[in-house]
Parts: sequence; structure tokens; C-alpha cells
Amino acid sequence: MTTLMGDFGRRMRKNRMAMVGLFVVVALFCVAIFAKYLAPYPPDRIDTSRILMPPSKENLLGTDILGRDVLSRIIYGSGVSLSVGFVAVGISTLIGVVLGALSGYYGGWVDRIIMRFVDVMLCFPSFFLILAVIAFVGPSIWNIMIVIGVTSWMGVTRLVRAEFLSIKERDFVQAAISQGAGDARIIFLHILPNAMTPVLVAATLGVAAAVLVESSLSFLGIGVQPPDPSWGNMLTEGKDNIEIAWWMSVFPGLAILITVMGYNLLGEGIRDSLDPRLKI
Amino acid sequence: MSQARCFSVKLSFVVTKPSSDAGQSLGRIQSRSREKASEAEPFQSHLSNSLRPPQAVSIDALAGWIEFDYSPREFGGEQKNVSRKHLNRIVLAVVLAIAGGLVVAGLSADNPAAQVAASAAEADDRPAYGDMIVRGSIGDASVLLPVLASDSGSFDITGMIYNGLVKYDKDINLVGDLAERWEISDDKLTIRFHLRKDVKFQDGHPFTARDVEYTYQIYVDPKTPTAYATPFLKVKEFRVLDDYTAEVTYDKPYAPALGSWGAGMLPRHLLEGTDITQSPLKRNPIGTGPFRFKEWVTGEKIVLDSYDEYFDGRPYISRVLTRIIPDLATMFLELKAGRIDQMGLTPLQFTRQTETKWFRENFNKYKYLSFSYTYLGYNLKDWKFQDKQVRQALTTAINRDSIVQGVLLGLGVVAQTPYNPDTFWYNPNVKKYPYDPEKAKQMLAEAGWKDTDGDGILDKDGKPFAFTIVTNQGNDLRKNAATIIQRDLGKVGIRVSIRVMEWAALIKNFLDKRNFEACVLGWGIGIDPDQTDIWNSEKTAQHQLNFISYSNKEVDDLLELGVSTYDRNERKKYYDRFQEIIAEDQPYTFLWVADALQIVSARIHGIKPAPAGLAYNFDKWYVPKPLQKYHVEQ
Repeated sequence: MTTLMGDFGRRMRKNRMAMVGLFVVVALFCVAIFAKYLAPYPPDRIDTSRILMPPSKENLLGTDILGRDVLSRIIYGSGVSLSVGFVAVGISTLIGVVLGALSGYYGGWVDRIIMRFVDVMLCFPSFFLILAVIAFVGPSIWNIMIVIGVTSWMGVTRLVRAEFLSIKERDFVQAAISQGAGDARIIFLHILPNAMTPVLVAATLGVAAAVLVESSLSFLGIGVQPPDPSWGNMLTEGKDNIEIAWWMSVFPGLAILITVMGYNLLGEGIRDSLDPRLKI
Repeated sequence: MSQARCFSVKLSFVVTKPSSDAGQSLGRIQSRSREKASEAEPFQSHLSNSLRPPQAVSIDALAGWIEFDYSPREFGGEQKNVSRKHLNRIVLAVVLAIAGGLVVAGLSADNPAAQVAASAAEADDRPAYGDMIVRGSIGDASVLLPVLASDSGSFDITGMIYNGLVKYDKDINLVGDLAERWEISDDKLTIRFHLRKDVKFQDGHPFTARDVEYTYQIYVDPKTPTAYATPFLKVKEFRVLDDYTAEVTYDKPYAPALGSWGAGMLPRHLLEGTDITQSPLKRNPIGTGPFRFKEWVTGEKIVLDSYDEYFDGRPYISRVLTRIIPDLATMFLELKAGRIDQMGLTPLQFTRQTETKWFRENFNKYKYLSFSYTYLGYNLKDWKFQDKQVRQALTTAINRDSIVQGVLLGLGVVAQTPYNPDTFWYNPNVKKYPYDPEKAKQMLAEAGWKDTDGDGILDKDGKPFAFTIVTNQGNDLRKNAATIIQRDLGKVGIRVSIRVMEWAALIKNFLDKRNFEACVLGWGIGIDPDQTDIWNSEKTAQHQLNFISYSNKEVDDLLELGVSTYDRNERKKYYDRFQEIIAEDQPYTFLWVADALQIVSARIHGIKPAPAGLAYNFDKWYVPKPLQKYHVEQ
């Protein structure tokens, strides 16, 4: 195990893009956690005498339509984006791992039912499915996390199932079975740890996807509700004034770009380092 | 661009102005209703105000930032018409004096073709027939029969196709339209209309008193799904005396009566015996108005052509193209591209985006106080808002000047009562609540709201003062106002959350069920001062407009007296007192009356801003020959 981790670390460090991704991700975490100390102003500080000011010394990234500081709102918005990303991915990973494990381990009709269910879920264009569900349950940050989570587990399920199918046949699993180990013990102790590689990669990439979906939903007005800052709804507000206040849309857009890129680079880096043959 | 193509089949573009954008696509437009009255319906589903057909004055559907009106059909609203004579403040910011020569000269710099025309222009600023005006509209029409319509998108179009017996002129006085003159009996119970004899429907059929009778019958028919039946239901008897004379009798004097006959007159010969809700005229209207229907592509455009036999003279503009563009930013881009001639602007567009040389040369901007107001309404069924002193304190705690500055960029005024400050009916001497957070805190303390547990939130009986403001999507002004209110109330220790939701959901799940604490919404202000629908204590049933459940016996009586009094000055006394009570009770915190902001292409001449707005003389607008841009073949 140690050598495995050592190999992984070495390969990661050699992969420059992965390190950039890692740096971005860590930096974003710090920004989100220390938002209170980093932001020059409270995100909801309204100043109607400073509406739509271009970037300046007082407001590094300008002000918005109510005179709020764009930089502060982006900083606070990072927390929203990241928590949506992580909770959503947490939910989808949990569902995906459980169903994938059941499907791969037991096979037979359990497998068939779960896989057909996956097929059904994959038939829906997921973004529109999310739109429909949100329209039904009402927009709030918690609903968004949950809805994104429960509509994006299918990929993980398939990955986990595939891993289980191959690992199940390995000698050490057969040995465990022959020694009379129970199903739960075999699944969780023997197979699952060996099947986590693709899950980790998928989860990292999933965060990026979830951040994007959250931004899109907020952009459409059914995501995080104003006045809570979210990069997506900052973009919406910016869009209407893009001709006279480019900073309102450019900077939140950049924030989304950097975050998504960071997670993607990191995810791909982990994948390449853990198992160069693995392709997701 | 496919649109451009489909058009060019019918119109060939004239080349007088090659530089601008002749040959570009045309589009659809913004609307404006002629002098149709908007009524006190608070919100409505297309981002625009609804106009009540019978009564005049439209709050132009200026785009999303203006008010929503309650859809009258659903709420069975009563009509209110207003005659508002003294609308004196119409601030007209005509940015550029439109001497024809000047405009052309301005254009000529980069436009050789126009230069040639320039010398001729001064002599040629004469009304001329031809050309097309392209208007941008944020909402499509839903039905083009005025009796069935309830949204401004529809009234905007039907206003050009139909006429009523009476209309409001530029100073918002009632004048004859299809009626040449009328007599009101001394007891104020009977009105006798003498109709014009030279009016023909657009299909050539003459218009007579039978059509008036038929229109009346349609309005009072219980099977007709109309929101405007109320004033017609008060009619005791309708008699046709001869082809061109009709007489209506009421049970008791009813002040809004005359104005209600501004309702569009329907063609009996096409509708009688049919089910009006299934009539083909819903999409292919035929009226007596200055413009006749040509084409309607749902969600895209509505095309009207001039009606050459119009009794008041053929309109100069040959074609009115209304392009439906649901997004204001997109509409503005179309305006910049020269593909729209007229639209309503947002305050930001008005102050910051149209202050360029190009805009000054090619467009004129108009600004006047709109017939609508925006308010923060409290659900009086909610225990927190039952104390008058609390409501007064809330108003005192909200910095409304900063809202007008920050949200409207100063393009509007703080509202104090439910009347437009520039109208005859407005009472300036009501109790006002200037911004004073300290005083507000003190008032709240007197009402029992104190921060006893030190969490920064006021509380009473162990419950914190926290509530949610609901408002509708698509209106950033309201959302922004709610955000400022949230901050202001936060300063005095009240925690406010904001919920922005889609229009239909807001009405259905919250307002109709009285399932809300506070809301930021708007009402159109009618021409008639009657506001019974909004304030009468009996109008609180589901779907009715008094959804905050306001109840005050004296207000009920005053409103009743108001509608049964014909004398304006006496009537005003009742409404003055009514405003005093409302100001004292503060069932709403009145936020603002916004300016209507219009931009119109400089090549359109003949626009005469007046208290009634711009659109009242739409059929007299014209484009001088040298400036004409489109060649319209009908």
C-alpha cells in the first residue's frame, strides 16, 4: 500500500497540470473557509451611491447594480459553489457506490433491475430533469444539492459495478468466500477499497460538473436565490448590463471557469497517477 | 434572419438610408396602447401593465420593470376609470428637439444619401403616408377581442383595432370617439349617446347602435369570461332609439359609468349567434379602428396595416409591426441595430446606455410619470402586522428615497398614497413617514418588539420578528427593492428573507391562499379614482384583489360615496379622506411611482407627449417622405 501511495505521489508531482489543479482546489477551499476575513466588504452591503462603479482601488472588481462589491460577492459565492459541489457529489457517490456494489456483487436479477434503472435514468437529459424537479420542489440551495445528487449517480454506479465484476473473480475474494466471510464483509472490506480508484476520479470531476450545473440553474433564476451571492446569479445580473458593466459578468464567469478547470485538472491528474491505463 | 427574408417578400426596402439598416429584418414591437385606461388591477402576467379596455390610459407595457397588474379576468375586478385632468407633471425629456432638418443633418455625417435629402427636409417635414414603425414588446398578445383580453399585450393591439363610444384625450378628459356627443340626464341616471354616422367596420359593414347593444349584451352575459362586466351590470336598461342613438339607464348615479363606454365596440354582424370564446375574431379581429389586422405569428410578431377608410382619417403610418422579444437586453440590442423603432427602457438603459451621440441623433426619449405604483404589502391576517404602529414603524424604517435612487436611478418619486402624485385625485396632505431608523426602533419598542435575548433580532412573546417578502420573477426592480428593504429592516432588528418566484405560482400558491407575510408588487392606477376592488373589506375572497385583507368601515363608506357622486370636487373630498386613512393605517408601505421611459426613432414625427402619455395620437404619427425607411405594399 505504501509503495502504491508513493507511486501515486511521485506521478502526481510530475504531472504539472495536476499540481495546478490541486493548487486551485486548495486555494478555493481557503477562500471559501476564510471568506469572512478575505472579503473587503460584507457581500450584502448595499451602497446606492456607488452603483455600477468600474474596478477601482475601493472596489477591486467593481460594484454591481445595488452598489455591492463584486469581489466580496465572488468570495462569498465560492462557499456556495463548493458546498453545492461537494454535497451533490457526496449524494451521488453514495447512491452510485451502493447500487453499483449490489449490482456487481450479486449479479442476476438484482443486477438486471439496477442496470435497467440506470438506463432509464440515463435516458433523461439530466439538466432538464433537474429543471423539472426544481420547478416542482422549489428552488433553494438544499434542494439543488439534493436534486443534482440524485440525478447524477448513474456513471458512478456503472464504474463501481464494472470494478466489482472483475475484482469479484480475483483469487483473494475467492479465498475470502471460501473461508466463509459474509457478503457485507467481502463487499466493504475486500472489494470496495480496491474499487475506489475510479470513484475518486469520478467524484473529483463530478464536483466540477455540479458547480457548473449550480451556476446554470442560478443563471436561469431557479438556483440559489438572491440576494445570496452565487456565481450563477451574479452572471444573470451581469448579463443585463454587460454593455455598461462588463465586470459584473466577466469576473464571476472567470471564477466559474477557474474552479471547473481546477477540479478537472485535478481529477484527470489523479486518474493518470493512480492508474495510467484507466480511462473515464 | 429568416424573418427578414419572410418579410422582404412583402416589403421591399426603400433605399433612402442605406447606411443605417435598410434591408434588415424587422421585427416585432413594444406596445403601447392608445388611450386605454389601465386599471387598478395589481398584477398581471406579462411583464407589463394591463390596461382596462373600457377606460383609458395605458400604462404602457414598458417592459418588465414596470408593474404587473392583477389579471382582471381571474379576479373579477371592478372597473375604475378615472378622469384625471390635472396630470401636470409629465416630464418630457425630449432629449433632442426634433426639428426635421436637424435630425437629417445629424444623420448626414455618415450618410450621403440622407445628405441629399437634407436640403429638402426642412420643407418636407410634412405629414406623409407610408413607412412602418417597429415596436418592441415584452409580452405577446393572448386574445384580440377586447372583451376577453386581460393583459396589456392584448390591449395594446386591440386598442389600435377597436374604438369605444368615448375615449380620453391627451389631457385625460372624456371625449367622443364613436359617439359624436352624449347627454346625461339631470338625475345622472341616463346617458343618451348619439353615434357617428360615417363609421364602417374594417370589413365595410356600417357601425350602428345595434353593435353597441350587442357589445353591451356580451359584457353582461354571464357566459362571457370577462373581467370588465361590473360597470355594465349596473346598467338597468339599454335601449336602441334608432340606428345612431342609444340610451342607457342606471339604477343610481354611478360616476365611472361614462368612462366604461370606452370599451371596444364589437361587430355584431360577425359575432351574433356565435360562441364568443370560440370566435375566429380572437385571432383575426375586425373593428372600426385606425389599424386593421394583418398577421399574427405567436410569440414572434403582430402586424397591423393602416385602415384607409378610418373615420378619423387614414393613419399616416402604413404598417405597425409589433415584435415580441421577452428579454429587455435582447430588445435593446435590436434597438441598437436599428431593427426596432420604439420600446420602453429600463432606468439604466435610459440614463446610461442611450446617452451616446448616435442615440441622440437617431432617437428621442420621453419620460413621464407612469400610472402605476409599487408597494410593500403586509398580510394583515398575520399577527405581526396587525398593529398599526408596527406598520408605521416599518415604513419609517425603510429608506424609500434610497430605493428610488438606487433602484430607479432617481427616475420616479416616492409614493405616499395609492394615487399618482400628478393627478387631480392625489392628496398631498397625508401623514408621511420620513426615513428615521431610530424613531422606528422606538415605535417598535412601544409596540412591544424588543431584543430581549440579545441576538440582534427583535422579539415579542418569545417570537422573533422575521418574515419573508415574496415578489415575482422577471422584475429586477422589485427584487432589488426587496433587497434594500431587507437591509433597512435588518438595521432595526427585523430579519427579512426574500422569495422570488414565477408569476403564476406566486398568485396561486401564495396570494390567493393568503399564504404570505409581505409582498412587493405593483398596481396600475386607473383614470377613475375608484379603488373599491383593492380596499373594500368585502373584496377579500379568494381571487379578489384585497388579498392583504384590509378592512376599515370608513374606507368602505367613502369608496361607496365616491362612485355614486358625479361632482368632481365633491368626489375628491371623499378620496382625500380615503387617502388620509390609508396613510394612517399603512396597510402598504407605498414605495414608488416610476417614470415611464420611452424611446422612439427620430424619424417618427408628430409625437406630442401629454398627460395621457405618448400613444393617444398614435394614428397621427408620421414619417416625412425623405425619412421613410420601409416601403410598405399592403
